[in-house]
Amino acid sequence: MERQNFHKELDHLKLTVYKMAASARKSLDSACKAYFERDDELAQAIIDGDREINKIELDIDRQSLRLLALEQPMARDLRMIVGIMRISNDLERIADQCVNIAERTIFLCQHSPIGQVPAMASLIGTTRQMFSMAVTAFRDMDAEAARKIPAMDDEADEYTMQVLKGLIEVMAASSPGFEKRVLKMRRSIQTIIISRCLERIADLSTNIAEHVAFIAEGANIKHQNKL
Amino acid sequence: MNSITAFTVKSLDFYYGDFNALEDISVEIGVNQATALIGPSGCGKSTFLRCLNRMNDLIPGTRIRGEIFLGGENIYDPGVDVVHLRRRVGMVFQKPNPFPKTIFENVAYGLRVNGFKNKAALREAVEKSLMDAALFGEVKDRLHTSALGLSGGQQQRLCIARALAVRPEVLLMDEPASALDPIATQKIEDLIHELKKQYTIVIVTHNMQQAARVSDVTAFFYMGKLIETGSTEALFTRPQLAQTEDYITGRFG
Repeated sequence: MERQNFHKELDHLKLTVYKMAASARKSLDSACKAYFERDDELAQAIIDGDREINKIELDIDRQSLRLLALEQPMARDLRMIVGIMRISNDLERIADQCVNIAERTIFLCQHSPIGQVPAMASLIGTTRQMFSMAVTAFRDMDAEAARKIPAMDDEADEYTMQVLKGLIEVMAASSPGFEKRVLKMRRSIQTIIISRCLERIADLSTNIAEHVAFIAEGANIKHQNKL
Repeated sequence: MNSITAFTVKSLDFYYGDFNALEDISVEIGVNQATALIGPSGCGKSTFLRCLNRMNDLIPGTRIRGEIFLGGENIYDPGVDVVHLRRRVGMVFQKPNPFPKTIFENVAYGLRVNGFKNKAALREAVEKSLMDAALFGEVKDRLHTSALGLSGGQQQRLCIARALAVRPEVLLMDEPASALDPIATQKIEDLIHELKKQYTIVIVTHNMQQAARVSDVTAFFYMGKLIETGSTEALFTRPQLAQTEDYITGRFG
């Protein structure tokens, strides 16, 4: 009764998720680099590359539905497929947030820098770490590692608030001329949106970690203390 | 899970000659729910099923140790009337086995053996059993024709009606749909959902999807041992033991 062919197909599905995660990681790394280095060409490459990630998501949907319909998976195989469908959705949304960051970056590159926003570097660091840990936890099916990620989300929220406070101060500071003030506000708002995108990526990385715990142990760690 | 038990099995061992087919089985089977027994061929699930109404007594060279309580009474106590026990614990087999009699007489048989004489009451009981087995509508105009003229799926539901006629407490089903086509199988599965409101059902099936669909509780047997038992939903989504997980996900067989 061994289901070798089914398990081979399931392994292929997992490989497709690794591929999608690698593409999303590349988008995130590039988005952060493009923002820091004011590199509008790199930002454009992220926007152009998003189509590939969308295609992988469709491929994962197709493979998952096929296995659900034809193989009637059970227990951890069932959890794996359901979890993968959710994870691929989160990865696609992470890639969309990277595109959003890239679009804001292209705008910011067209104008002089707004000045230092120290909490932004911390936010980027935490978000990238959360994403990386979530993907590694999925690869290793490590529920224990996955459980450490949701707590980091509070850190990301705190840095996002700090970015917001810093930029409110920038916007509130007086500057000569109406047009200059408008441009300063526009640059600040675009930067706030970038911080918001990073905060969403941290949320989505938390989701991925929750799905890993579900796949590995059948445990639902979503909405803890919020039900 | 239902807290009221139909069967309480304690330290059950069963032997075919020297072969220990069931080893130290202890389990409780809840009232008015469907319990599925799963496991690879030769794991002991059918042997266990047959222990529940002492059908194994008919096989020479077998012996049993341990206790099985049904409603507080050990069914293996020397004083137990086995005929009465089998009236309380009916059985349906893999292959439909109607008697070469009319549809009516198949269902009436058990009632007549039990001294049912009143014609009107007999007819009413037969019709009710056929209705409970979801067969009456298909056969009401030919009750007095041969049961052997029915399709395989209808014959199996007739066998269920025959088992129900004597108002058992428990219905044992040994792969009741394995010889049937998908439509007839669906009818049997729908029937199990209905019957478990009134009867305790224990079903052996090789079809894990069927076990998942029809049962409330599933017990996994392997090499004569009861490895894991639990709610069907839990067992098929997050089994506790690696051996169960490996079996139901097809990593060994």
